Amino acid sequence: MAKHQSSPEGASSQGANSPDANQTLEPFFVLHKAQPQATVGEKLSRSGKGRERGSKSSPKSPGKFKRTPSDEQSSGTLYEQWRLKAFNETWSKIESSIEGVLRDINLKLFNEVLQWVEESFSEIKSNVKLSSSEIQQPYPLVNDTLCRKIPTAFVLTKNAEFVDDIKTFCDLGMHLKSNRCHVANMSTLDFSIKYRVGGSIRSLLRQLHSEPLDIADVLTLAKWYCEGENYVKPIVVMIDDMERCNPDVLGNFITMLSEWVMKIPIFFIMGVATTVEAPRNLLPSNALQHLDPCMLTLGTPSDRMNALVESVLVRLCYNFSLGHKVTLFLRNYFLRHDGTITSFISALKLACSKHFSLESVSFLCLYLLDKDYELIFFSSLYNYLNIQCLFEVARYSKMQFLDIFCEATDPEMYSMSCSDSTSKKPIKCGAKNSSEMLSSGVGSIARAIHTIREMPVTALSNLLNTWNIHTEKMTEINGEVKKLQSLVTTNEGKVYDENLPNIRKRTISLLSGKGNSPNEKVAMLLDAMIRKYMKPTECMALHEIICFRDVDVLRSGLIGDSRKTIQLDLLKCQSYLSCSCCSSDAMSLSPSMHDTSIMYKLAQEYGDVINLYEWYQSFKNVLTSASQTPKKKRHLSPASKKAKTLPPSAIEALIQARFCEAVTELQITGLLRMPSKRRPDFVQRIAFGL
Amino acid sequence: MGKQPKTPEPERRTTRSAASISPAPTPSKPSAPPKTPEVSSSLRHLLSGFPGRKSQILDLIRLIGPLNSPSLPLLLYGNASTGKTSTVLKVLEHLNRPFVYVSCRSCHNPRILFETVLSQLGSSHKQCKKMPDFLNYLREALAERNKEMVFLVFDSIESVRSWDTGSKVLSLLLTLYDKLQNDGAGLLYISRSTPDAYLLRFGSFQPIDLCFPDYTFEEIHSILMRNQANPKLYSSFLSVVLKPFTRVTRRIDELASALDPLYKKYCEPLTDSTITPDEAMKRRLFDYVQPHLIAALNQTFTIPPRALKDKSGIKRQGSGIGNATGLRELDFHMSVSAKYLLISAFLASRNPATLDAALFDSTGGCVGRKRKRKSSQSSIDKNNTKAEEMLTKGPGTFPLERLLAIFQCITSVLEEDSSLNEEKALENSIGLMSDVLLQLSTLCNSNFLCKSGNCPLEGSVRYRSMIDEDMALKVARSVNFPLSNYVYRR
Repeated sequence: MAKHQSSPEGASSQGANSPDANQTLEPFFVLHKAQPQATVGEKLSRSGKGRERGSKSSPKSPGKFKRTPSDEQSSGTLYEQWRLKAFNETWSKIESSIEGVLRDINLKLFNEVLQWVEESFSEIKSNVKLSSSEIQQPYPLVNDTLCRKIPTAFVLTKNAEFVDDIKTFCDLGMHLKSNRCHVANMSTLDFSIKYRVGGSIRSLLRQLHSEPLDIADVLTLAKWYCEGENYVKPIVVMIDDMERCNPDVLGNFITMLSEWVMKIPIFFIMGVATTVEAPRNLLPSNALQHLDPCMLTLGTPSDRMNALVESVLVRLCYNFSLGHKVTLFLRNYFLRHDGTITSFISALKLACSKHFSLESVSFLCLYLLDKDYELIFFSSLYNYLNIQCLFEVARYSKMQFLDIFCEATDPEMYSMSCSDSTSKKPIKCGAKNSSEMLSSGVGSIARAIHTIREMPVTALSNLLNTWNIHTEKMTEINGEVKKLQSLVTTNEGKVYDENLPNIRKRTISLLSGKGNSPNEKVAMLLDAMIRKYMKPTECMALHEIICFRDVDVLRSGLIGDSRKTIQLDLLKCQSYLSCSCCSSDAMSLSPSMHDTSIMYKLAQEYGDVINLYEWYQSFKNVLTSASQTPKKKRHLSPASKKAKTLPPSAIEALIQARFCEAVTELQITGLLRMPSKRRPDFVQRIAFGL
Repeated sequence: MGKQPKTPEPERRTTRSAASISPAPTPSKPSAPPKTPEVSSSLRHLLSGFPGRKSQILDLIRLIGPLNSPSLPLLLYGNASTGKTSTVLKVLEHLNRPFVYVSCRSCHNPRILFETVLSQLGSSHKQCKKMPDFLNYLREALAERNKEMVFLVFDSIESVRSWDTGSKVLSLLLTLYDKLQNDGAGLLYISRSTPDAYLLRFGSFQPIDLCFPDYTFEEIHSILMRNQANPKLYSSFLSVVLKPFTRVTRRIDELASALDPLYKKYCEPLTDSTITPDEAMKRRLFDYVQPHLIAALNQTFTIPPRALKDKSGIKRQGSGIGNATGLRELDFHMSVSAKYLLISAFLASRNPATLDAALFDSTGGCVGRKRKRKSSQSSIDKNNTKAEEMLTKGPGTFPLERLLAIFQCITSVLEEDSSLNEEKALENSIGLMSDVLLQLSTLCNSNFLCKSGNCPLEGSVRYRSMIDEDMALKVARSVNFPLSNYVYRR
């Protein structure tokens, strides 16, 4: 917040430059005037009550708002609205960009699949020509084919988690549907043991047929296929997660369809999450031999992640960026826990929403025009281009962009290199090879620079070409790049007539000897660029507007400790129920408390096994003792009210019933395990401590 | 009608009655030679289409008998892909008899089976769910045909058994002959299982069984040789590959699908596919195909990557070699905690539970573990038998608690190691433990673990790891975990 002082400067400069100053001046003016207000807002939102306040206060239209804030509540509402608007706009921009990126990645596979379907379909059509009456015959075609095979594409999704690919398969279905195919999208549930193969064929027909069917069999499918327009299109059956299907049902389904394979052109597309061997391990062999397999590969999650980092995280034009710690957290979350893009995106969304709801000045980004943006965050563009250049190197050496980005956002690293830059010492990494560096924990940027030193000449010239495009706006660097480009091309010409081992020797000798080989020069250039231009967003002035840094909020949002919360809630139930009769003392027990809570508190006194009888006795004691002594409280709870009129045996039964209910509840929440056959009198505690 | 009369009727009738007296499928050999000159050209064509099935076809024609004469129910049985269905269909087509075909594999419940039969008979009844209804409607439909014989062919009746009311439906189907006496229906059952599976109750008419034996080597050869574009080349190919493959399987469909890609490989070096190979060329082609041959023998099902059309064979071969080296690494994404969980599941399945305490002691593993015991011959033998026993038993099951304990040990060792350098310690700030149960369900979904018992509240669920050691090693390598230190050997 200390950096707010610099805001008037930005406002004045923008006001002078911008032609439509009237529009853009206002928010800056508000910021300037309402600075104490903003801190109030911040305090409120930090304590987590900002939103409640906003909902309680009556909404006022922004037009009526006076610039000198007389009414705190209305200004709070206004900020809320602005924040919400800022969040909505920013997130919709980011979301659409993410969708675009993922669509581009998938499009290659989609076209490949489509091409495969079309090729196989035309092959089948050219081989077999059948009239519609022949297709509808119930008996198989007797010709000389020895083995009936269904063309099957196994799409390796390269991720053990399947969440990402559900949408991919939906999109693939849409893509195929729009390109003259009948598509049936079948899921694991269609191949369950409960409904057998009848369920699968019914689901298949339901997706193809428009009207509901009384009876579902392959003959109906054949009849449908002969109707009118249907005949000219192939039928594509997509099973998104093959490994989770029941193997017997799927096997039956395949053999059943294989009897009709000459007549109805069916194609399978099956998603395989793990290895190529999975279908072989899963399906029975008589089903396998009816498949004519081929393998297609989806982009790996790390490829997608790279594309996401490149298009969303690095670019500051979305008015939202992540601090170093948050980036690190997200990276670890992706690698260690989940590994799905879906949850990464939702984490990003959470970060984004938290940023706009918690950071008081975040809404300002709405009012930043591109020009202001460049003025305020003038270094961010260079930073972005610089990171792009680094990514080009990473692309060559197959490093993860997220690793590099993590390092690039590290403010410590930046301050270190700033202090280094006076001494002009290049980033050292000796003459190790890259695998050694990996194990010795050298940073990924240093590794990237080292990669350049080992690059062959052609790759180097390619790299420089891409750099030339990226650095167009950085005139100074662009000149250097061009110079190096010409150097490399002349070198390339010289080297071409020698053979490959010599190139290697030569590069190595140059590397170790004079240090003025093109590789070394390019590495030096990158090093200099990093020193000069790479500046983490966190180190920029006014970064609070766009940068989210609160890693703890994100962590508690993503990795909630549900079991701990349940235990805490059970112990402190009176504070939630805000019941008048229970004392504020946490450990005292009264009969009017919730049964489960009483039971859980009683259970605290036991070790890892609880004797049911003793437990029940103490539970009964708590309930009855209180109902005897304080006669007045009895009327408060309906259960005890009834108990007054009941005979003792019925009271006993009631208490037993309540006991059973409470035990079951504890079991369902996972805090308890029911008695085993060996020790029928004891339940086992599963959760200990907090 | 017009095709049919090639044998005088009285003679035929005697053979059929002879067969009905002795229901064994004896191909009456003495009667076969005098018939051969009378074989019509269409029959000869039929026989040439089915190498090695001559006696079965002749028997079938004999048992089916002349037009519109009542015939006994037949059960054709034999292993998969021995030509049962196609023989029946071709024979009926050859004899020009009307028939109704229903494959019990295509139908998945009795209703569909009944309605398929009835609709092919032209019955007007739309719905038929119950067995008595089926019988009534069937009688009606047959009565409408005015004694014109129609054959009901029930294919793969063995799959009826797996239906809910399978045994009842099966006995209904098999006793149709008794129930439809003289209604003008011939019954043909086709099955993969032997007649013993269809023994009926005493008194009902047992169908006459006709065995379709497995093909011999020569028959397989002649079947595969049909319709080849370049018979000489293909026969030289078969002479190389067929022997080893028939040792593995005699099923035509399996052989055909195994040999097809191999033949493509065999033809790869040839520029002209119509060439007639000489000895030297055969040798060269054999040398070329031999490495692929061994690989193909050991593999039942391979999924080739989709080859683009413009790619040359050499390039594809290169990618194959790349795959072989790529097998050393895990080629799909899995989160680190799932990997550790999988490793601990593998260890829990592989190691005896009593050894856990020794392997995962307070020092966090078996760093200083040494085995110095000298082993005598007898103890080695004992160990060997134990190891064999372990192999035959397969991976063991384990409760969730044991899995979590091992997981905790492994990850705590990891965290200890990585806390040596500061940066890694920072990275470890998210523990691996937070959502283990989610990871567990992921592993179960991808069939790496299998779960027994289905009530999660009971707490008696046991797990078993389904991965082999190669896979476990790959996973361990990807997280730099010294798996081999922890695996109990013998």
